[in-house]
Amino acid sequence: MTKLTTALIAATAVMAAAPAMAQWEPNNRPVEFVVASGAGGGTDNFARTIQSVLSRDGIMDQSIVVLNKGGGSGAEAFLYAKQNKGDANKLIFGTNNVYLLPHVAKLAYTTDDLQPVAALALDEFLVWVKADSPYENITDLIEAAKAEPGQIVFGGSQSKDTDETLVALIEQTSGADFKYVPFNGGGEVGVQLAGGHVAANVNNPNENLGQWQAGAVRPLCVFAPERMAESEAISGDMGWQDIPTCKEAGLDIESYRMPRTVWVPADLPEEAVAYYRDALQKVSESEGWKDYLTRTSQSGAFLAGDELKAFIDENETSTVAVFKAEGWTGE
Amino acid sequence: MGNFDLLMHGFGIAITPMHLMLMVAGVLMGLIVGVLPGLGAPNGVSLLIPLTFALDPTSAIILLSSMYWGALFGGSTTSILFNIPGEPSSVATTFDGYPMAQKGESTRALTLAFMSAGIGALLGIIVITLLAGWASNFALKFGAPEYFAVYFLAFAAFIGMGSASPAKTLVSLATGLILSTVGMDTVTGEVRLTFGYDELLSGISFLVVVIGLFGIGELLSTVQEGLRFRGVSSRIDLRDVLRTIRELPRYWATTIRSGLIGIWMGITPGGPTAASFMSYGIARQASRKGQPFGTGRPEGIVAPETADHSAGTCAMLPMLALGVPSSATAAVMMGGLMIWGLTPGPMLFATKPDFVWGLIASMYISNIVGVILVLATVPMFAALLRIPFAIIGPMIVAICFVGAYTVSNSTFDLWLVLVFGLVGYMFNRLDYPLAPLVLAMVLGHKAENAFHQSMVLSDGSLGIFFSNTLVSSIMVLGLALLILPKMLQLGGRLRRKMPVE
Amino acid sequence: MAVTRFHAEIATAIGTGALGIAAVIGATELGLGWSESGPQPGYFPFYVGLILIAASLWNLASAFVKHRQATLDASNGAEAEEPFLDREKVQRLGGFLGAMLAFVVATLWLGIYIGAAGYIAYSAWRKGGYKLPLSLAIGLGFSVSLYVIFEVIFKIPLLKGPIENMLGIY
Repeated sequence: MTKLTTALIAATAVMAAAPAMAQWEPNNRPVEFVVASGAGGGTDNFARTIQSVLSRDGIMDQSIVVLNKGGGSGAEAFLYAKQNKGDANKLIFGTNNVYLLPHVAKLAYTTDDLQPVAALALDEFLVWVKADSPYENITDLIEAAKAEPGQIVFGGSQSKDTDETLVALIEQTSGADFKYVPFNGGGEVGVQLAGGHVAANVNNPNENLGQWQAGAVRPLCVFAPERMAESEAISGDMGWQDIPTCKEAGLDIESYRMPRTVWVPADLPEEAVAYYRDALQKVSESEGWKDYLTRTSQSGAFLAGDELKAFIDENETSTVAVFKAEGWTGE
Repeated sequence: MGNFDLLMHGFGIAITPMHLMLMVAGVLMGLIVGVLPGLGAPNGVSLLIPLTFALDPTSAIILLSSMYWGALFGGSTTSILFNIPGEPSSVATTFDGYPMAQKGESTRALTLAFMSAGIGALLGIIVITLLAGWASNFALKFGAPEYFAVYFLAFAAFIGMGSASPAKTLVSLATGLILSTVGMDTVTGEVRLTFGYDELLSGISFLVVVIGLFGIGELLSTVQEGLRFRGVSSRIDLRDVLRTIRELPRYWATTIRSGLIGIWMGITPGGPTAASFMSYGIARQASRKGQPFGTGRPEGIVAPETADHSAGTCAMLPMLALGVPSSATAAVMMGGLMIWGLTPGPMLFATKPDFVWGLIASMYISNIVGVILVLATVPMFAALLRIPFAIIGPMIVAICFVGAYTVSNSTFDLWLVLVFGLVGYMFNRLDYPLAPLVLAMVLGHKAENAFHQSMVLSDGSLGIFFSNTLVSSIMVLGLALLILPKMLQLGGRLRRKMPVE
Repeated sequence: MAVTRFHAEIATAIGTGALGIAAVIGATELGLGWSESGPQPGYFPFYVGLILIAASLWNLASAFVKHRQATLDASNGAEAEEPFLDREKVQRLGGFLGAMLAFVVATLWLGIYIGAAGYIAYSAWRKGGYKLPLSLAIGLGFSVSLYVIFEVIFKIPLLKGPIENMLGIY
């Protein structure tokens, strides 16, 4: 880790100081967008939106091919990056799974096989319950779980992934004991909640939006430092801004958000990383991107260079602490 | 009827020159991806998504869904002519479609397949039109135990009675189950049975296995018999087509039963592939007289095709109304919806009636367009059979390998195709049934997941599978399908033996 | 050399049995029990593996039983055991499989386009009895249409090798 990381930090620092370097461009092969999720998943939409903005706004002239490699919770995509070390025509799209997966599963790659380019958005997490459930706020839910340990069912997407981590974090913070059941994806968990098969879930806004509009589920609180951006009324007269943060609702978790990140394989010339960073920055300022953020209720946040590095370090350390407490880190 | 007015409104949206053109284009492209094994509907649809950025959502979904119907039709063509399923859901069509084509009745087989597919699709759309609200509420009732019960029912319906040796059936089934557990497990997050191979991390693709077992396996059998296709090429004759269409009403019972199975599997997310297997299995059990299944019986084509297409169309309903796709293609389309700025969910029907009803109306039209176009392409495929084997044989091999490669861009899959080609050939020659293996691969892991989720919910008590009326009745039906045929068989045997003794 | 059905049955039973053993071994690394939250990850692979081993043994045994019966019948003058593959079929299959194997290896080395063109041209030339130039044209034509369908129309990259790189085709 150490050597490469220092080299990276040095490289980014140099580049930040001298942005007007010789213009690097990818060769005229198509650029591959390697997506660490199946077609139709959240990461897939993220990559395809960037693809559409890049080509529609003429930011990048190369043709772009999207490859879905969602196997093993996305590990397939990251292994692919490792196999294509130094290939400047491959961008890898993921979340925080890039650096979290190696902690919970025995995999043949490490985070050093990829280098981060940028994070473009932060997806929020909310606690949702069924519309007619007895829990009016997050404290009700936690008290109920304390009264009946291991009986209140939390649904989530995948195992030892962001959802289960968050549920574990809620348990560690509040002392309540929930039962976690993993399903295949956020959409499925949303329907399980609407059908009353689970008591609560921690879906991203986008994954439960349809059910909230229909009044089948309702949000309790959001794991963000401040309330979400203003929106039109979505269900009844409630919009996103009316949801309390979990901290103000009495659950002491300041922030839990999932970054949407873009990576390249390791060993790329720094000019190449800079080229993609600039292209992505242009995407993050475009109209098409703002549309996407509003539509999916994510918070825009362009992070690159040192800022991104710091974010990743912080996110990795705090999440691994949760893993350790749950005993997921293996031997 | 409110729905009827809305449908008429939908037709108003769907029938424009632009939309009709998109339907024809979509169906044609779908036929291409459907015919090429590996390059399936999910693949094709996701490739078209960037093209749809320039269209309005209604036009875009019409294009994508038309491609889906085209792919479903195209998949059956190669199943029948070459015994190579172009789409996973047309595997069951090979069982009787290919034998019928071998007997020189390829026109009859293709017409039966396409017409029943069209009828199946229409049955599915009618259900969507009339029962949209009711069906999506019904789908909400399905939790993990109910899912498991649905998969169990599909298994039971298909496995219940087979002619092959029980030990060989068991080998085939167990092999499929083991193959389906390879890779990362959703419920526990553990990596299983990869033996350190990174290529196995994402599991063994069902498509790669099917391409090997059926495509390469069949070619090896062909080669062993001399370098000739056993399928007799025949020109498509309009009179044959019409004669076969007149023959269709005879299979009304099979058609209706299979349509209902398809609708059921489309709404409770079992998916079209499982639906076609289940429908084939039940048709086999329901038939008493005549030549056995697997030798080119018309019902053996009608049943899987009708169920496949009615499930395919009904799979659109949970996707639109709940945001849960019950087929891989529906999952991709749902991704498209989100990019176009539409949120799938119960409110979509209320907030975007133009979109929803335009789509539903287009489903009527594009399936009819599909039947016509696919019948028109049959002469082309029949002509392929006249190409000498020394040329077409290697071409099919190459297409099989290309198809396997496109599934996940992995060279490892090329070796898998080779291995499963040999397995398919040996199993075929030694009378191991292939169908249980394929079905186990489709449903095995899903069933295991649902089972495991149920166990987590119930703290390890099997009672959860009989905890409410819905799940108990599905389980009882499944058990009945599993046991009754055996009992009847046994009873029949006893009765036949009595007089002798 | 000819293969009897007996040999084929035995080989297949051993193959499926080996898969069963592999599953059992792989599963033991994962935990086989039944925890309070249901089966552990190795539970299903382990027991399905055992079932597979048992069924394979059954097939193996019944192959031996049939074989003994057949040899007995043969010594009593009845028809001998049916051959699985006679010499001619072995040659045909071997030739076809060999070419296919060469195709896979060539594909891994030179990419799918060159591999397919070479494979098809070879088959048309040696097996189909076409003239060499025509055979090459058929092979190349096939690869070009692959390229058009996959890369041009559907934008799916197929496996390419050093020759495409030299020609500047991506």
